[in-house]
Amino acid sequence: MTALRIDQVSRTFPARAGHAPTRALEPTTLDVGDNDFVTILGPSGCGKSTLLRIIAGLDRPTSGRVTLDGREVTGPGADRGMVFQSYTLFPWLTVRENIAFGLRERGVPQQGRHDIADAFIRRVGLSGFEHHWPKQLSGGMQQRTAIARALANDPKILLLDEPFGALDNQTRALMQEMLLGIWERDQKTVLFVTHDIEEAIFLGSRVIVMSARPGRVKAEIAVELPHPRSYKIKTTPEFVALKERLVEEIRTEALKVAEQA
Amino acid sequence: MRPLEPTTSKQRVVYGLAFFVLFVALWSWATFGGHVSKTFLANPLTMVQEGYELLAKQGFLFDIGMTIWRVIGGFALAAVIAVPIGVLMGAYKPVEAFLEPFVSFARYLPASAFIPLLILWAGIGELQKLLVIFIGAVFQIILMVAVTVGATRRDLVEAAYTLGAGDSGVIRRVLLPSAAPEIAEILRLVLGWAWTYVIVAELIGSSSGIGHMITDSQALLNTGQIIFGIIVIGLIGLISDFLFKAFNAWLFPWKLA
Ligand SMILES: Nc1ncnc2c1ncn2[C@@H]1O[C@H](COP(=O)(O)OP(=O)(O)OP(=O)(O)O)[C@@H](O)[C@H]1O
Ligand SMILES: [Mg+2]
Repeated sequence: MTALRIDQVSRTFPARAGHAPTRALEPTTLDVGDNDFVTILGPSGCGKSTLLRIIAGLDRPTSGRVTLDGREVTGPGADRGMVFQSYTLFPWLTVRENIAFGLRERGVPQQGRHDIADAFIRRVGLSGFEHHWPKQLSGGMQQRTAIARALANDPKILLLDEPFGALDNQTRALMQEMLLGIWERDQKTVLFVTHDIEEAIFLGSRVIVMSARPGRVKAEIAVELPHPRSYKIKTTPEFVALKERLVEEIRTEALKVAEQA
Repeated sequence: MRPLEPTTSKQRVVYGLAFFVLFVALWSWATFGGHVSKTFLANPLTMVQEGYELLAKQGFLFDIGMTIWRVIGGFALAAVIAVPIGVLMGAYKPVEAFLEPFVSFARYLPASAFIPLLILWAGIGELQKLLVIFIGAVFQIILMVAVTVGATRRDLVEAAYTLGAGDSGVIRRVLLPSAAPEIAEILRLVLGWAWTYVIVAELIGSSSGIGHMITDSQALLNTGQIIFGIIVIGLIGLISDFLFKAFNAWLFPWKLA
């Protein structure tokens, strides 16, 4: 059974004064099964965010359609949780209130909201920060809160757009392990966008490689590394072999971008 | 002194007071020293005496009360009407397209120029005073609130949608809280302007208020009273500004954190 089906989805941004139309995404087809963890890997500007925004319902495709459990996506909804590339916590809400935002929207009573929010606060290791404002958190803590906020809504699919892109390497590695731990325990359907090759392999059950602009699926590589995965897996021969293969794929694309520029 | 280098709070108080000391010193020099005629400018001591006279014997406290009530009344009326309209304009672009040209035009109409017309329409009673302040404040608030709400971070709005919020949820739980501190700042600013309008409104056809006292004193060439009246206006403005700031800081702790 397929949970998410992306069927010949393309996106062209209309021309603006003095600019030709931008073809951001070539017709793209992709299926994501239940409890799959798919990572999308591609160079900057290849339309990764565009694709994710279309799935989230924040943007409309120029052609093609997206269906989730057979129902066409026509707008944003709580069944698709999203974690953005930029920090998008509500600055006027505390960590706990941020995480409970979607629950409150659904009318969950206060006590229930707190219980669920606090459970997720523990899961992402933010105990003791329930009453902090986003401003008082580091970047990594903000993204952990954003992940908890999306998960607390119990979406069918979790969309993550380079959530760790702005973090330093050590923090990033810890966050990857945390996210993978949650997935291994809870089994969620996850679509994770990144331009970091190691991250794509470490997290994903499948890596989708996208070509340079205009973006399209260039290759699909299954990652048959056993779960649960720890950071140590990054030095195993299997991991390194996958990495070499992906480095080649991505390098050709990056070169194309460099030539276009 | 170096650019943007902060001062300690103690230094700030000392510097701030130093200005007033210097100001009064210059004033004393000009008046006690006989450099300016008494008819045009009273000396500080006379000013204080006249002020005491006003408060103790001429019921000036009542005038102050009247002026404060007018400012707050007219301002509250304007805020209650302008803030919702501004929010709607900021949130819904068609509403903005409908109202923006008119409001932009109307906000350049000087409130004081309406006074003769308002006297004709509403007489010289309280309603006329309130309306002057209302006209002076309402369009300014609408426009600034609309701009603030319209400038809400798009990514926060999108995050709310992906969390299942509907349109009314986005307005209530994203646009409003995100714009609230700015709206409070706008109100603080416009309240300051309202003080100017009220005095002008009281200078013409009024039987009470600080502005009325000032016109009366002018007829008697009592510059001491005029200056005292002006200083009282400044002090009340300063106090209300301070209270407003403290209230805003208390209301929006997340801004300061
Ligand atoms: N609203 C828009 N209007 C016009 N062009 C756009 C718009 N959004 C994106 N684009 C263009 O579409 C292309 C793909 O953008 P997108 O943000 O999807 O890339 P990306 O793969 O997410 O890149 P990055 O890794 O840097 O985040 C870019 O060339 C961008 O300039
Ligand atoms: Mg992107």
